[in-house]
Amino acid sequence: MVNRINIFQPDAPMSYDDRIKILKERKLEETRVKSTMKVYQDGDDYGSIPAPETYQFHCIPNHENGSWYGYDGWSKNFYKLMTEHPVYIDPVDAFTCRWMFSMIWFDEKSPDKGLNWNPNFPYDDLKPEQELYGIISGIGSDAHFGGDYRIGLSLGWGGILEKLAFYRKKHPEHAEFYDAEELVVHGVQNWISHAIEESERLARVERHPVLRENLLQMAQVNRNILNGAPKTMREACQWVCWFNMASRTYNRDGAGFQLDEVLKQYYDADMKEGRITRDEAIFYIACLLLNDPHYYQIGGTNENGDPLLSEFSYMVLEGADKLDSACNITVRVDENIDRKFLNKAVDYLFKNKNGWPRFSGDEALNRGFMRLGYPESLARQRIAVGCHWMSLPGMEYSLNDCVKINSAKVFEVAMDEMMSHKGPYSTQLLWDLYQRHMARAVEVTAEGIAFHLRYQQYNEPELMLNLISHGPIEKGLDMTCGGAMYYNLCMDGSAIATVADSFGALQQRVEEEKRIDWETLYHHLKTDFQDKGGELVRQMLSRSARYGGGNTISDQWAVKISESYSNQVRSVSQKYPGYQFIPGWFSWSNTIVLGKQVGATPNGRHAFEPINHGANPHPGFRKDGALTAMSNSICAVQPGYGNTAPVQLELDPGMGRGEEAVQKIADYIMTLFEQGATLLNINIVNGQQILEADKDPSKYPNLVVRVTGFTAYFCSLTPEFRKLVVDRILIQG
Amino acid sequence: MKGIITEIERFALKDGPGIRTTVFFKGCNMACKWCHNPETLSVRPQLMIYPDKCIGCGACVEACRAGARTLGKNGALQYDRTACKHCGACAANCFSGALVMSGKEMTVEEVMEEILQDRAYYRNSGGGVTLSGGEVSTQPEFALELLQALKKEGISTAIETNLHAPWSVYERMLPFLDLVMFDIKIFDEEAHRRWTGVSNRQILENAKKVAASGKPYLVRTPVIPGVNDTEEEIGSIANYVGTLGGAQYYELLLFNPLGESKYDALQMDNTFAGTRPTGEEGAARLKWVAAQTPGLSVRVG
Repeated sequence: MVNRINIFQPDAPMSYDDRIKILKERKLEETRVKSTMKVYQDGDDYGSIPAPETYQFHCIPNHENGSWYGYDGWSKNFYKLMTEHPVYIDPVDAFTCRWMFSMIWFDEKSPDKGLNWNPNFPYDDLKPEQELYGIISGIGSDAHFGGDYRIGLSLGWGGILEKLAFYRKKHPEHAEFYDAEELVVHGVQNWISHAIEESERLARVERHPVLRENLLQMAQVNRNILNGAPKTMREACQWVCWFNMASRTYNRDGAGFQLDEVLKQYYDADMKEGRITRDEAIFYIACLLLNDPHYYQIGGTNENGDPLLSEFSYMVLEGADKLDSACNITVRVDENIDRKFLNKAVDYLFKNKNGWPRFSGDEALNRGFMRLGYPESLARQRIAVGCHWMSLPGMEYSLNDCVKINSAKVFEVAMDEMMSHKGPYSTQLLWDLYQRHMARAVEVTAEGIAFHLRYQQYNEPELMLNLISHGPIEKGLDMTCGGAMYYNLCMDGSAIATVADSFGALQQRVEEEKRIDWETLYHHLKTDFQDKGGELVRQMLSRSARYGGGNTISDQWAVKISESYSNQVRSVSQKYPGYQFIPGWFSWSNTIVLGKQVGATPNGRHAFEPINHGANPHPGFRKDGALTAMSNSICAVQPGYGNTAPVQLELDPGMGRGEEAVQKIADYIMTLFEQGATLLNINIVNGQQILEADKDPSKYPNLVVRVTGFTAYFCSLTPEFRKLVVDRILIQG
Repeated sequence: MKGIITEIERFALKDGPGIRTTVFFKGCNMACKWCHNPETLSVRPQLMIYPDKCIGCGACVEACRAGARTLGKNGALQYDRTACKHCGACAANCFSGALVMSGKEMTVEEVMEEILQDRAYYRNSGGGVTLSGGEVSTQPEFALELLQALKKEGISTAIETNLHAPWSVYERMLPFLDLVMFDIKIFDEEAHRRWTGVSNRQILENAKKVAASGKPYLVRTPVIPGVNDTEEEIGSIANYVGTLGGAQYYELLLFNPLGESKYDALQMDNTFAGTRPTGEEGAARLKWVAAQTPGLSVRVG
């Protein structure tokens, strides 16, 4: 670990702005080191720092394969790691420590963790069909739901221990659960205790008076929250940092909360008591975001429909602006949003060009969620705290973003089946087969999720998120198996554009224009267009009317595909009382992996090339690349039940130059959500710059891009991922 | 009623207020040597050729009934533009993008079908539809019918025009327009004739009439290096715009070099090949000169 003590002369300027500047430089330095380490590539920035070279974690196995599983395995190993975790303290920072490794993907620092899924619970019977349909099953996946930080903030670690003790008495049969949870909390407290000791030690050494004082304050803040509930904004932020760092370390959980609602009360109390200044609060927000770019929402309404937007919401944007780094703040947009605030948010988007903030659409999300039978007051509480997902804080278990069905693979299976018979062939017959196979794929996926829910507690219980959820402690049950109030289970489809364009091309070129017959086309697919005349056929197919073009044949197919998929996902819920399976369209960064499962497709896509990203059309969908055309198409395929099919935009920086241009983008955003969109991610990147950065990423260490739902430093992406982003930006931007 | 349209560009942010759709008419009554949309000069559909995209499949040779496309001795594709009937048969069979027809016959209904898809965006942004070109006045009847259809749908309208047509053409459009954007390209009449092929007298007269009509309007000048990028020229135009009174603003549009590939695709001579736009400093200087006209708001686009 890098030494941060006595770096500055005692008279060096150390205002809040000076400190943020120093912290930003240090972050860039850390990013440079991380970009060379495989474990940090192709993922979110996370805010973690590289672990000390000398440190290595040796696990306590509880399985013959040398790995650890279940309550006992996870709690003991987590306790051990927390207790011996290296303590990193930067006296410039407002908050203590940073996280360094996650137990779910330990690298060379801790090579002991074996298979991710507990082999005592095999699911070999599900695997053949999961493979057939290109299903990412979610079995063994963790986190990906939101906790309710208000629980932890109101109780503190000591209060949580008391709560555990209270309910242990009520549920003695779940002793294993309570033992594990207590150990987890003690582990976190050990890390905090070590940080207190280290802060005090460093304060005795640091020569700069401001930093020395800061170290002493750090020690005091942490003493206050070691057991007790936080009372000030600084204590609350530090508590959040500890939870985030510990939860990241446990299983990479990255869901945040309604930032402007939860922290505002501490700020207001501090202001009332004269304990804080506005600048100081903004500094704390910047440091909180530096500690970890968790997914936070600002704006929107509370459960009663009262607006949550406040002066503090502006301060959150200001804090993020000061930091000017990777950030995952989502602005909730409803029809009554203060347009001044929206314009300010758009202004920051263009000013910093770091992909933040994102925007979510209140109306479509709430309306969709209510179609599941939930009241509006609950729908309003379902906030954006993940890559493409919403969550009821502490109330629902969801496997968000963990489950994907590759509809391009389903299409391929249907096409192969149709062509294995003697004709006549038609898009209608293909559509019937596609629907039949998709219905089976959905069933297989549901079976996988149900399997996961039965056994995940024996594999990897949610020992951190349980602590800030409504139910697990009260019932003595893990969130994965009965602890949660709701089981709203994400079932995302992927490759909607690939499949819609394929159906569209077949209808246009084979059936309407009769330019090619089914057998010849199928031959070219199976030879990946490599035979004589193959490239001409491929070009012809790829220049068919496309999804995203605006009321094209493929747009119509996309609507049909999405509606059918939503119906199938919803109807499978009826077989599983207590579970709601919710459809969505999102591939995350699996576009490459899912593409590798599928041969050439009738949209002119070569074998094993990536599928489309999320609900976006394939690049080149329209000559003018009109955002409105693309946006209309994506709005038309929204799954309709409160989960998302995001719009991903790549805009040139010139588009937001000047007040008038910012206003136009804000108007676009308002209209987009009025049209039914659920989530909007925007990259502001110059095409020429991204090309240069792709050639030599090290020359652009501070270039941040929104890869999918998450942002990452461009230099930390592998060439394959960079290509994905570059292609999207060059063609759309 | 059919018109010849080269492009319908949606989410156009620079062709008037709000979010707009711009409809590019084919055909122009001037011949500006710097035109960055050379495919719009002729009213007829034209073949544009992008050899880099050719995959040598030969489908165009088979499709061409005029014998304009042949296979040369070495197997390379040959094109005889003099024999070409511009029927579009070759482009319709070229899927690589090497052959593209510029200009498509469209009915008002077809254009409206595309336009109406973005209706919500116009409404929320104060945007609408801009008819551009080429020159909108070269297809006056089609333009008029389209404008009427737009107003019937309650969509805000604008034209971008060179004002080089009899006033009666514009007079008929005015009741269906919410904004007129017109160019004054060069103030000196002889220079105007030399660079655009026509006198500017009618343009300057029409400008007065637009101003007098009470319709909102704004004036633009494409700043072309070596043609009109002098303090004297821009000052003169700005002064004239000042005398008109009531312009929303006067905008200096810097030279657009993006037309170069189109000249190549049309096998046309490009007088301004390699020319770069006026630099920031020069643009600021010209803006300052124009802004000396009392009451005139000046922008650089």
